[in-house]
Amino acid sequence: MGIPFQQMFNIGSGTELIYSFVIMLCSLMVFFGTKQIYELSSHKGIKYFRLAFLFFAVAYFARYFIKFFLMTFGVGSLHELSYLFFDPTGILTTFIFMYLSSISVFYLLYSVIWKKLGDKKIYLVHIAAVLIAFVSILSRNGIFLLFVNLFLFVIVSLTFYFTRKNSKKKKHTFYAVYMLLVFFWILNILDILIPSFFQGFQIIIYLFSISIFLTILYRVIKKTGD
Amino acid sequence: MVKRAKLEIIKDILKVIQENRNSIKLTPLLRKSKLSSAGFKEYYTELIQRNLVKEIGSGRERKVSLTERGMKFLEKYRTIIDFIDEFEL
Repeated sequence: MGIPFQQMFNIGSGTELIYSFVIMLCSLMVFFGTKQIYELSSHKGIKYFRLAFLFFAVAYFARYFIKFFLMTFGVGSLHELSYLFFDPTGILTTFIFMYLSSISVFYLLYSVIWKKLGDKKIYLVHIAAVLIAFVSILSRNGIFLLFVNLFLFVIVSLTFYFTRKNSKKKKHTFYAVYMLLVFFWILNILDILIPSFFQGFQIIIYLFSISIFLTILYRVIKKTGD
Repeated sequence: MVKRAKLEIIKDILKVIQENRNSIKLTPLLRKSKLSSAGFKEYYTELIQRNLVKEIGSGRERKVSLTERGMKFLEKYRTIIDFIDEFEL
């Protein structure tokens, strides 16, 4: 008798640990690998790009921490975990996780549009991240959270699309990578927020996510030589 | 004439200093930087604040020279520009 298709892709805490570690390592290497060129240039785009990856590292750490608890206590979602430990512990965890998740995506977005908005409007990024985090703790409805994340993805996609359209540059190789990065990060968020959303298919998401981070890291190392 | 980007202007100013054996007076530097007086003053203040250039001497003998950081900037200029271009920043 063969193994059921979904069981074939089931993962344990070891895989989760390796996955989170690889992503955190890639993110931190991007952050530290761009330190010198940022310190020399003081370029705002590089600054926001670096911060995005620093926040990705912290957000993936938070994600692993939450996943570890979900696995340890055998619960399906972060909201269930909050019932288990009673609020406000669960609420605070959800808030911090969603804030970190959103801020990393927003910083990445801001790194490509800062010239149009100016670097003084960075507070908007924090306001938006806090709003998303609040919506996430107020709503315990999985479908609603799915729509919030889809909305976030649409906003990011449209911003990248219009930035690309209005740019004088002919070749835009990296917007596609950014889009994939945001898309797979949102899948990672949904995996935490909505119980059994990707039951059995996490490994595929993990492999794609790792590939995207490794691609970015490779390009950073190739360009900076650090 | 194409408008120069901020990093390019900084590179041009530093390059002028480097090409003058790392020591130049302010008046010829202003002239060779191809900026207005106000523009030059703004950039010059920033270069000093960011420790890319330093002043040597005083009064009429005051000259400008590159710091180690300024030299590093010139060395890494192409890398910085390529990086910004590659990652659409």
